[in-house]
Amino acid sequence: MSSRAPHILTRLAAHAVVYAVAASMLLPFMWMVSTAVKTDLQALPREAAGEHVTFLPPGWPWEWRWGNFADAARAVSLWDFYQNSLVAAALTTLVAGVHNALAGFALAKFKFRGERAIFWLVMSTMMLPVQVSFIFAYIAAGRLGMVDNIQALVVPFAVSGFGIYSMKQAIATVPDSLLEAGRLDGMSDLELFWHVVRPIAWPTIAALGIFTFVASWNSFFWPLVVVDSVHSKTLPLAVAELSAGRYVQSWPVRMAAMTILTLPLIVVFVIFQRAFVRGVAMAAVKE
Amino acid sequence: MRGRSVSPYLFLAFPVAILTVFTVGPTILGLALGFFDWSGSGPARFVGIGNYRSLVSDSRFWPALRNTLVFVLLSVPPSVVAGFLLATIVQARWFVGRTLVRTALFLPTVVSIIAVGVVWRWLLDSAGGLLPRAIVAVGFERSPDFLQGGPIVSWLPWLSWPMVSLIVIQVWRTAGYCMVLYLAALSGVNESLYEAAEVDGATRVGVLRNVTWPEVAPMTAFLMVTGVIGGLQVFDIVWAMTSATETDSTVTLNLYIFREFQQSRLGYSAAIGGVLFALTLVATMLQLRVMRRNAA
Repeated sequence: MSSRAPHILTRLAAHAVVYAVAASMLLPFMWMVSTAVKTDLQALPREAAGEHVTFLPPGWPWEWRWGNFADAARAVSLWDFYQNSLVAAALTTLVAGVHNALAGFALAKFKFRGERAIFWLVMSTMMLPVQVSFIFAYIAAGRLGMVDNIQALVVPFAVSGFGIYSMKQAIATVPDSLLEAGRLDGMSDLELFWHVVRPIAWPTIAALGIFTFVASWNSFFWPLVVVDSVHSKTLPLAVAELSAGRYVQSWPVRMAAMTILTLPLIVVFVIFQRAFVRGVAMAAVKE
Repeated sequence: MRGRSVSPYLFLAFPVAILTVFTVGPTILGLALGFFDWSGSGPARFVGIGNYRSLVSDSRFWPALRNTLVFVLLSVPPSVVAGFLLATIVQARWFVGRTLVRTALFLPTVVSIIAVGVVWRWLLDSAGGLLPRAIVAVGFERSPDFLQGGPIVSWLPWLSWPMVSLIVIQVWRTAGYCMVLYLAALSGVNESLYEAAEVDGATRVGVLRNVTWPEVAPMTAFLMVTGVIGGLQVFDIVWAMTSATETDSTVTLNLYIFREFQQSRLGYSAAIGGVLFALTLVATMLQLRVMRRNAA
């Protein structure tokens, strides 16, 4: 910001502070991974091994035990949970991507009776806490046969007030003249959406897609309400049970399972870091 | 655009149906349910404000409300301020490793807190967590009071160790998000403002306080209010940290709502939801007000 750079010592100190904070963000993950390859005895505080506690950060695993990962995979049907989470998140992203964009298109570029009412309905859903609506949303889902299955995790999130609003804002920037030109060429509204609106609004569609995926992948409260059998459990539900010691007792094996569960998203995040930040931060940046 | 067309209705039919069936309708019914006694099957019995009257004398409700408010008040301002300070350093031209730092700080936003919560629990859990054990081993003959459910300092009886743990984790998880949003806000600040301040001989801290902070005020307002709304509805961290050992010292409104739901006391659960709804509404109104003032 300032054109004059501060004193070298100030700069060094500032770097030190920020790097320390950044390291503290990584610490729990490092701890998780390092514990995942320890033996049970190493994972415990030293007092249990007859010594005094030496409170060391992550702690180097002196004796690597890769078998923890195999044990974890055997104890918990990780692959099923993975599949459920992946299918639910991917389907939600796809379905919501289409419907949010089309609804945003309708609200941004059409005049029609009831427009204001629908717009306010959409806006209001953004501030309604799920803890008020979940009881009857659960009942509605039950009536529609969507309990304890993947549909229950997808359909209620097939559109979102936030998604529609973001798309409306993005599509509003598409010049009307382009739409008129397309219409003169005889394009239908759906063709206009696909050939004119979609390319221009693509950054928002992509960012919203990432946001939707991450939100669905990590969602916890609703799945906790609608899912109870093992065959449709998602990762966060399985992780919560795992952490309470439901499937395995050994801490290193539990951490191995956590590592298997979280690492893929971390890797994907690190690779597509820029898109993620944009996607998740989009809401406020638009202010 | 065009006068008559069925397209907008076609595009909006499904979205409006979904929002009505799963959000707006259930919210209205949920608020109404707060005035009934219902177990989920059989007829509901109208009890007027009976549920709300019970809440007033409910010895579990007040701690839940207090914990929720303590959680919000002690976690939101620190994350926002930390995010601001970090952003002002990271966006400086001389800062090395911006992408690296941003990636690290944004990681907790992306990864399921349920998973990371397990690690945190292992570190901080008052019964058997590594840090509490280390505290005991380093300086105490026997486990200090605050690890056995007592307050950390006697004059703040509501501030228990598990509560502090929740707050620490929330700050840990949201500070990076705040930083990233502040970075975006800072990139929009007009350079000439800084130059003018420099010409006037402002100190570095003076520039920060009198130029930068006011310039990003809209973002601060946004982060505060969305932070408050999110904090009021906190559920997953509390669940991850305390699922098996829940005590009154960490129960939040949301958790209490869910517990009552599990006990099939749906009307009572909905009444607590009504309280949460009112709190959220106040926070939202505040946000609208702040945003309108900024726009004007």
